[in-house]
Amino acid sequence: MGSAVAAPSVNQETKKKKYPYYIEKPLEEGRVQKFLEIFAAFLRHSNYKPLLEIYSRASTKCSRCANTCQIYQATGDPKDIPCYRSNILLDIYRRHFTIGGWLRGRILGDPGLQEETIDEMLDTFYHCTGCRRCSLECPMGIDHGLMMRLTRNILSEMDIIPKALLVSVREQLEGKTANTSAIPAPAMMDTCEFLEEELEELTGHPIKFPIDQENVEYVFFPAVSDYLLEPDTLMGNAAVLYAAGDQDNWTIGSQYFDGINYGLFYNDAILGRIVEKEIAETRRLKGKKILIGECGHASRSAKAFAPTFNDGEEIPVISIQEYTLNAIEQGKIELDPDAIGETVTYHDPCNIARSGWLVEQPRKILKSFVKNFVEMEPHGKANYCCGGGGGTVSVDEVYDYRMKVSGKIKADQIRATGAEIVVAPCANCKKQLKELVEFYKIPATVVGLHDLILRALRLPPIDKSSEENNEQKSQEEQILEGSGTHA
Amino acid sequence: MAQIELAGKMFDIDEDGFIQDASDWDENVGAAIAPTEGVTEMTEEHWKVVNYIRDYYLEFGVAPMVRKLCKSTGFDMKKIYELFPSGPAKGACKIAGLPKPTGCV
Repeated sequence: MGSAVAAPSVNQETKKKKYPYYIEKPLEEGRVQKFLEIFAAFLRHSNYKPLLEIYSRASTKCSRCANTCQIYQATGDPKDIPCYRSNILLDIYRRHFTIGGWLRGRILGDPGLQEETIDEMLDTFYHCTGCRRCSLECPMGIDHGLMMRLTRNILSEMDIIPKALLVSVREQLEGKTANTSAIPAPAMMDTCEFLEEELEELTGHPIKFPIDQENVEYVFFPAVSDYLLEPDTLMGNAAVLYAAGDQDNWTIGSQYFDGINYGLFYNDAILGRIVEKEIAETRRLKGKKILIGECGHASRSAKAFAPTFNDGEEIPVISIQEYTLNAIEQGKIELDPDAIGETVTYHDPCNIARSGWLVEQPRKILKSFVKNFVEMEPHGKANYCCGGGGGTVSVDEVYDYRMKVSGKIKADQIRATGAEIVVAPCANCKKQLKELVEFYKIPATVVGLHDLILRALRLPPIDKSSEENNEQKSQEEQILEGSGTHA
Repeated sequence: MAQIELAGKMFDIDEDGFIQDASDWDENVGAAIAPTEGVTEMTEEHWKVVNYIRDYYLEFGVAPMVRKLCKSTGFDMKKIYELFPSGPAKGACKIAGLPKPTGCV
């Protein structure tokens, strides 16, 4: 009887959990048991177990990663050291899923996972932006970014996930519009028509955004938010494809046109389902390659995981940056070296730079036409995150954290370059960096890579010269044919 | 879900005060939301932006691209931010009764 009375008071204590971000269905009770059940399922049904076995033995908690982490450098809180964070999960693994841990519970009375640890995890694993800079320094080869993703994955399976990510992905996978920004296909097409008019006004050329063209080389998936926020990036993309002679060789699919994949940040199953949608749309249109627009995580999720989730014939993934560099190197497009007078710096999106995949390509592009190019230090593989990685940029309620903590070092870095233009080929980074330069009053403009390319792209004057050519030709024809009947 | 009374009607709102059912919106409701986004008085210029967004939303189901908004209203981004200090997506769209933008917006 006594215990029956005591139980509700414990429950009351556990009610009204505080979450650092909005949660749609906050789980109030049974969180510990649920976490352990889901963790156990992961160990049974995925490849994480051998990895955790190695990591839990290899981790020495040496904290060498502390030097690399911009979160720890901003807060100085030992709890923000990457290996401290990973150890929370590894310790749950040791205690609940190894014989040593079982003994620890039986002999030493270690009570195991507690409610407070759930609170700590749902907070600290969203402090991490998943930039994986720490992976460069860990002498034991531990990928703390992966531990972050696994923990978030378990939490998301118990509905602990920022609402901003959840509702976006739900619309992408189950909604009518099938994209994270809930843009209906007719609206996307209306925007494309508008951008075609803008391009015609700007260049005089009939540059198109082809929709649902079949049997083309490239099916294009930008971060879908570009259709709301980034006209110059999209126009730059289309203009380069046009200038390189591929106007009829690329398309946007009206049934699925979003490159964004938040699954990369918190849930492997969702990551797979989103990649499968890109593959299915490419296959529907009989396209040969997946072309990803300017977006770090969209590029990485497709490039790294299309082979994993594609059951059929291989579909290569390329980034628009690779495409454009190739067009420059093959002499298909020409950029005006006098078009950009400003000092320009380049921000490496972590998801394409940390692995070394897209580090040199954007620099070769920029240096081919930008006179005053300055690097941030450090840069390339060792770059600092914009501070909004891992999906946090979409979580408005952590704005203060992104400005004052996670983005602080990046703001210092940008200011130190003295650059007037910051190029960031990533929708996610651009949003964060635009907010950062505004917050810190840094006199710099943040743009995409193709925004600058659009300014410098040399296109032949079209209207008059082509008419003249036609006239000339018809005169030649007249002479050759000896006929004066042509008008 | 929280509720709020705006211009005599009750609305469900999300955590950031975006109304959930856009069909019940009218200009009085827009004017009642405006002060929460730092707009003290809805002038003709404010309405030009809000009405354009509203009409576009009713036709296409989403807010217009920012460049299109500027071009159609004749206001540049600077002017839009002067009118709506919290910006077009979070400020003007909220006053126009649109749901909170999702994704990388």
